[in-house]
Amino acid sequence: MYEPPFTRDRDANERLAARECDACGWVSFPEHREICKRCGSVGEWTDTELEERGTVQSYVVQQRLPDEFETPLPLAIMDVPQTSGGDPARVYGLFTETDPEHIDIGMEAEADFRRIFDVDGLPIHSFKFKRPRGDRL
Amino acid sequence: MRDVAVVGAGMIDFGELFEQSFDDMAERAYLNALDDVDKGIDSEDIDAAWFGTLDIAENASSGLGLSHPTGLFEMPVTRVENACATGSTAFRSAVEAVRAGSADVALVLGAEKMRDSAGGLIEGASLEQVWRGRGVTMPAFFGLRATRHMEEYGTTREQVAEVSVKNHENGSKYPHAHYRFTCSVEDVVDSPQVTYPLNLYDCCPVTDGAAATVIVSEDVVEEYTDDPVWVAGSGLATDTVQRGADESLAGFPATQQAAEQAYEEADITADDIDVAEVHDCFTITELVTYEDLGFCEKGEGGAFVESGKPHLDGEKPVNPSGGLLAKGHPIGATGVAQVNEIYEQLRGEAGAVQVENDPEYGLQHNIGIGRDATGSVSCINVLSKDRP
Ligand SMILES: [Zn+2]
Repeated sequence: MYEPPFTRDRDANERLAARECDACGWVSFPEHREICKRCGSVGEWTDTELEERGTVQSYVVQQRLPDEFETPLPLAIMDVPQTSGGDPARVYGLFTETDPEHIDIGMEAEADFRRIFDVDGLPIHSFKFKRPRGDRL
Repeated sequence: MRDVAVVGAGMIDFGELFEQSFDDMAERAYLNALDDVDKGIDSEDIDAAWFGTLDIAENASSGLGLSHPTGLFEMPVTRVENACATGSTAFRSAVEAVRAGSADVALVLGAEKMRDSAGGLIEGASLEQVWRGRGVTMPAFFGLRATRHMEEYGTTREQVAEVSVKNHENGSKYPHAHYRFTCSVEDVVDSPQVTYPLNLYDCCPVTDGAAATVIVSEDVVEEYTDDPVWVAGSGLATDTVQRGADESLAGFPATQQAAEQAYEEADITADDIDVAEVHDCFTITELVTYEDLGFCEKGEGGAFVESGKPHLDGEKPVNPSGGLLAKGHPIGATGVAQVNEIYEQLRGEAGAVQVENDPEYGLQHNIGIGRDATGSVSCINVLSKDRP
């Protein structure tokens, strides 16, 4: 974990820590510092946490990637709610253990804590998504 | 502010140019642009130059990348890098300087060696930030728009494929195109899947190329040509999907904003555009760009291409050169080449791909994405036959 970018984002990657703009409710994830990307205010922020689930807004299924990726690899833009309510965060979500036929816009997906990849042999952990167990086809 | 005109356009045939170095390509595009000036031009006339490249093959990382192959020393050379909008942003920057009076004659040169390095953009994408970059490739970034557009507006897979069919048809007639084959809707939907919902024929090829443009101020234009093409307006904007706007899931707000700026500066509307060279890195990109540019209503892009309007003989021809899908997308060169193609169209010199509606206004458009594939940038330039 000595790579600065990964250390910096560790709370977001491992605990789904985010921040909510007090002025407009936009959720900053991974966290940004002072300026709100939606309303532009340099305002106050409230610490918040995201739920370990989200709703698919759009998706693709990647078929051709370098060897270190599992393919076919579904990838979605997801709306992930805050545990405390308010607006969801919009994030890119990598999927795992999901048949490409079983992913769709509007579906709910569960997050699973996983080893995402290695940097110089050291593991980077974060969340991947999959179809909820009860919904498995 | 002074009016600015294009007086010379040069490019090389795009393709797999393993036998040519970056300098070879840049030199030839430059000489072709000088040769194209109606009344001739001396290299000594050039006051300043703008150089567009992402330098993917890492051999041109300063203004020297332009100065060395062209022999243009002892003058200001500005290297511009703006993702896939690099070439069009270099052009826009040069125009602004000439308008403002800091140069009378300027060179714009864009070049890219896409095939000299094996890794390409996936290497950055795979190791950038965990949430934003991991596994997000170019076809994924654009494919996300396709899935959503199909869901939200009922756009069909076949309509998306029509863009490829049209552009390959045009490219088969365009002398500088990388690929000059034609294909059918079935060929596109049956080609190997790259990233669902996009297949191989939905994607532009990996192409080497270079292009150069000579622009001058109104004060000296008569020394170079009696048939200039004028710059009417331009726009440049940025956006990112992470701002949370639903609009950006099935379109590119940056294009809408850049178009608004360009139309306002040119004092026209989308209806006035007679021919356009737009960014079709993937089929879906062109389809949503029809909407973002105002060529049709939001959600109507599929019906628009199906109607034949953007075809070579349609009422609003888009990508008569075959676009990036057929011509190729050597990033730094792409926007400069598009400007050149519009210049040829407005002068009636586009040969086999000349549009037939006697175009008065032509538009050139790029959309580019940032390092983490979440940001986007759009640059648009509008050219006109008559002085604005
Ligand atoms: Zn805000």
